[in-house]
Amino acid sequence: MNKQLFEKSNKLERWTLFVDFIAIVIYISLFLILFKLLELPEVVNGSMDLDILQYMEPIYQFLGSTLDKWQMNTIISLSVVFTIVAVPMFFINLKKVKIRTIYEVDSYVAGSKFFQGIINLLSFNPISAGLRIYNMFILVKFVKGYDAKEFLKSIVPAVKAYFKRLFTKKVKENTEGLDEYSLSIKTSIRRQNAANALRLLFTYIFLVFMALIIIIPFYWMIITSLKDFSGATTATPKFFISISRMNWVNYKVVLTELNFGLYIRNTVIVALFSTAGTILTTVLAAYAFARIEFKGREILFSILIMTMMIPGELYIITNFITVSKNGFGWVGMPTGENNYFLAMILPFVTSISYIFFLRQSFKQVPESLYKAARVDGCSDLKFLMRVMVPIASPTIFTITILNVFGSWNAYIWPRIITGVGGQEGQAYWLISNALRDTAFVLDNGRVMYNLQIAASTLVTVPLLVVFFMFRKYIMNGIGRSGTKG
Amino acid sequence: MELRLENLTKIFTNRTGIETTAVKNLDITIESGTLVGLLGPSGCGKSTTLFMIAGLEKPTSGKIFFGDDDVTKLAPEKRGIGLVFQNYALYPHMTVFNNILFPLENLDVPKDEAIKRVKEMANLVGIGELLDRKPSQLSGGQQQRVAIARALVKKPRVLLLDEPLSNLDARLRLQMREEIKRIQRETGITTIFVTHDQEEAMSISDKMVVLDFGVKQQYASPQSMYTDPGNLFVGKFLGNPPINTFEAEVKKGYLMINDKKFMKIKVPDALYDIGMRPENFRAVAEGFDVDVKDIYHIGRDTMVHFDFNGQNVRALVDSDDISSEDKVVHLSIKESRIYLFDKETGKVVNHG
Amino acid sequence: MANLKNSVIAFFGKILNAIKTFFWNVRRLFTNIKNRFGDFLDKHNINFVTRFPNWAKALLYLSPALIVLMVFTFYPIINSFALVVYQNYNMTTETVTGYTIFGNFITVLTDESFIVPASHTASSAVINTLIIVFISVPISVLLALFIAAALNTIKPLKSFFQTIYFLPYVTNTIAIGLVFAYMFRTDGGLVNQFLGLFGVNVEGLSWVESGAVYWRSMFVLIFYSIWSTLAFKIMVFLTSIQGIDKQYYQAAAIDATPRGRIFSKITVPLISPMIFYILVTSVIGAFKIYNSIVALFGVSGAPAGVDYNLQSIVMYIYQFIDGSNAGNLSVAAAGSLILFAIILVLTLVQMQASKRRVHY
Repeated sequence: MNKQLFEKSNKLERWTLFVDFIAIVIYISLFLILFKLLELPEVVNGSMDLDILQYMEPIYQFLGSTLDKWQMNTIISLSVVFTIVAVPMFFINLKKVKIRTIYEVDSYVAGSKFFQGIINLLSFNPISAGLRIYNMFILVKFVKGYDAKEFLKSIVPAVKAYFKRLFTKKVKENTEGLDEYSLSIKTSIRRQNAANALRLLFTYIFLVFMALIIIIPFYWMIITSLKDFSGATTATPKFFISISRMNWVNYKVVLTELNFGLYIRNTVIVALFSTAGTILTTVLAAYAFARIEFKGREILFSILIMTMMIPGELYIITNFITVSKNGFGWVGMPTGENNYFLAMILPFVTSISYIFFLRQSFKQVPESLYKAARVDGCSDLKFLMRVMVPIASPTIFTITILNVFGSWNAYIWPRIITGVGGQEGQAYWLISNALRDTAFVLDNGRVMYNLQIAASTLVTVPLLVVFFMFRKYIMNGIGRSGTKG
Repeated sequence: MELRLENLTKIFTNRTGIETTAVKNLDITIESGTLVGLLGPSGCGKSTTLFMIAGLEKPTSGKIFFGDDDVTKLAPEKRGIGLVFQNYALYPHMTVFNNILFPLENLDVPKDEAIKRVKEMANLVGIGELLDRKPSQLSGGQQQRVAIARALVKKPRVLLLDEPLSNLDARLRLQMREEIKRIQRETGITTIFVTHDQEEAMSISDKMVVLDFGVKQQYASPQSMYTDPGNLFVGKFLGNPPINTFEAEVKKGYLMINDKKFMKIKVPDALYDIGMRPENFRAVAEGFDVDVKDIYHIGRDTMVHFDFNGQNVRALVDSDDISSEDKVVHLSIKESRIYLFDKETGKVVNHG
Repeated sequence: MANLKNSVIAFFGKILNAIKTFFWNVRRLFTNIKNRFGDFLDKHNINFVTRFPNWAKALLYLSPALIVLMVFTFYPIINSFALVVYQNYNMTTETVTGYTIFGNFITVLTDESFIVPASHTASSAVINTLIIVFISVPISVLLALFIAAALNTIKPLKSFFQTIYFLPYVTNTIAIGLVFAYMFRTDGGLVNQFLGLFGVNVEGLSWVESGAVYWRSMFVLIFYSIWSTLAFKIMVFLTSIQGIDKQYYQAAAIDATPRGRIFSKITVPLISPMIFYILVTSVIGAFKIYNSIVALFGVSGAPAGVDYNLQSIVMYIYQFIDGSNAGNLSVAAAGSLILFAIILVLTLVQMQASKRRVHY
């Protein structure tokens, strides 16, 4: 073990990560700048003439060079692809450089460095590529003790030897002189292996088939969202499109002309506030149910559990009356006197099922911790904040995620609330309402499928990004929420 | 500081209204600076007693004095106690340093002094190098040390330990036992140590209290409790292998065993429960003849089984004095090592 | 260079320390005040703890949640029982023309689009919902069980597949519903294109557009509802299958138990509580189906220009809140109470069944 080499490699990796980070910033800013430059159709009579969107041939000036529509699309596509590749790579490497110890370095790590270097090279990041490949040589030296020259020399014989081994026929086993029993064992082993391989094959075929069914709608969504109008409505839509034909302008139209920027902002506001409220109320209530002994605790709790069975439609009817004119007056008032956000957030700032879920994980905190804290003069609230909440943080995180997803998916309540407000209410649409109720139909009766699907993609992608960021937590949390619920 | 329990009683009432007496009329005075073991079988109310001293449980009646102060109604954090739990109760999300620091957060201590005290305590219990680890990265013994440091860092007047060694393996237990004794000596703090393991209690305590069903059986130093058990329960509870007990009559000043005169004894004639510890028998030339039922050699000692008044009795004698072929052995026992317990009350008759 | 670096680190460390000390001192100040206050109370023999019993403390912690629940959960439950007895309730003027006990229920139950299909349509809300429940729930539970079991047997690519299968969970129902509708388009839909590869005549083969027939639209709806609910079930099943003690499988392997029987005699019985839980929740979920229908067919619940309707019970209820019959909230309340009754009965039946069937 050469500690110096390991440290050198680690230091180099840190620098590479720094370069990677700069590259990511460049990709993203390139995307943003070019996206901002994209030209939209002219506004005629207060609305955009989307009919001519696909026939426009604008010329862009960028960094002193002239780009046509297709070149522009290519550059944007590349910057998106590079970002998608570079960001996860960056975070995975960041995590690895933090936790990898000297004992975990093997030739596989060196190989992955080389592979990542190639990816860097493909994503126009030669500095990272060079650093990574240099790092690979250091790691080779660390693992095998070869110098760069020796290593390069050793590749050819190794490959030769590998192929030699691959092509030499297996020596036929000598079955003579074995009695019947040993022979029968040999055949049964062979049969068993064949059966296992067959079963595994079928399992994978089944899984791949199901995975295709799951994944194709996503793929089709992304592809369609980048097509132009005729590409999306033709009788024979293409399954692949080239990167120069990716119409990123679709997203710009959706975000600006079709107001999805506003709707996304609305949704984020509602999601943030209702989640914050939910966390606050459920943590406090779950603590009371889990730790404080009071008369009627069990009765109150079972009443709450029973209400979980009642369908939400029952509440919505009365809640609608409650928030409208004769109740709190948040909606249904004359224009300008409505408070749509309050009406959309407040009914959802607590949740019985989350109280139940959190209580379960609070109950798992041992009683002796509470006693210890009491002896140390820790008040109930401090105990909750300093001990219970940190210990139950995975559950709280799961609740946060579930609640944000819930707000992102909310359809009927926001629809009822904003539906009352007519034109004014439309400015408070959440994304689901906007998706369903925005007319993607032009005056001449053409349905702009590509824009509709682009809007769908725009709504789905943030969820997917959050999911991939916290994949493990979310998947474990959901699995557990079912197990406990 | 002296700790005094007066007539302490705790009655639990469950939901259906059935009352269970966990601790009954407990009167104990614990001298300043001693380590007292609270010993008893599980469910005898020893942890309840400890939690009442800590203030985590309210006594049904009776009083608790720390020195001259009546602390019966005082909140736990104001009593100045340190408590170590069976499962250590370390906060899993905090580092060792923060765990030890936590009690000081609620006291009026300047930051610098707090840090100094944490380090001091960590060094005292021997975990000075582990301060930035999480409890899950520590071994059982190390976690135990952290728990003790956390209990000691606020300079408590009384240290309470609730079965602190029962989650450790045998070898560590021995080591931690000495460690606790050392820490207690160095700090000179009044300590109460709850355990169900008699060997642990005997080795560590200056004095021991034996409880049974919430009633104090005896309060004495470990050795005197072993040599002079106050009653049949204490006699049976202490000692390994356990004491032999059987019924025997004293006739005309003689203890009768197997219808033979065993020994002259100065107690009134009556039927008694007799206790004889196996290790107090000696194999001698002119002893009491017994017919051997079984004989086991266990290294240095030999265990002999025989009948006394129909009860199986074990004697642990030196292996040199006996051979496995012997059908009859001659045993003797000192008179002071024979315990006669009253049949009614269970109190010892010929001692104390 | 190294010197500079060290001094920078030391500098930030100092700042951090100062901040920490500041907070410590603030806390110390508060503790001091609190202690003095406590001492003062003790001195004057006011025992705060006994004056402040546990239920009051609990109420303090529960109050934020309870207030919200009171207004938006408990009151609506009570109020909906009030609503159903009103005749022609008008929410803007808050007037009623009279009171009736069963009138609104009868309105719902005899409504042509609720239970009994009208003569010109093929289906009603209840029939639609029952079809969805009884087809999509068994298929999705079985499929999820198979996938979870298959995932449990493989090692390479396991977490990759797991991630893919989880994707439908993290989507917006409406968004993906629109994509499905687009995929099932008559001309140039992906599905028709795919079927065309097998020689199926896809000319005018409509699924979600005008010209579609009932069962084709229903197929798309059921397909979509299975697709979108599969993820959660797979995750829960996989978690519980992985929780099974390996010893059972080792014992079975030594007894030469075939794979199929291991699945049916060990895996399924051991996770049967979970299967029943999932069954209950997915039946309830399927009864409340709404978003998927809206996503595929719009708020009318039917493809344009067809003579049938795919609306579910929930959709039927909502049409009285906003939709064609907006404003008739009493009928909506009656409808939702009927839905509640159905769900309650189902839950009780399944709880009884699970008591007998679940193996431990």
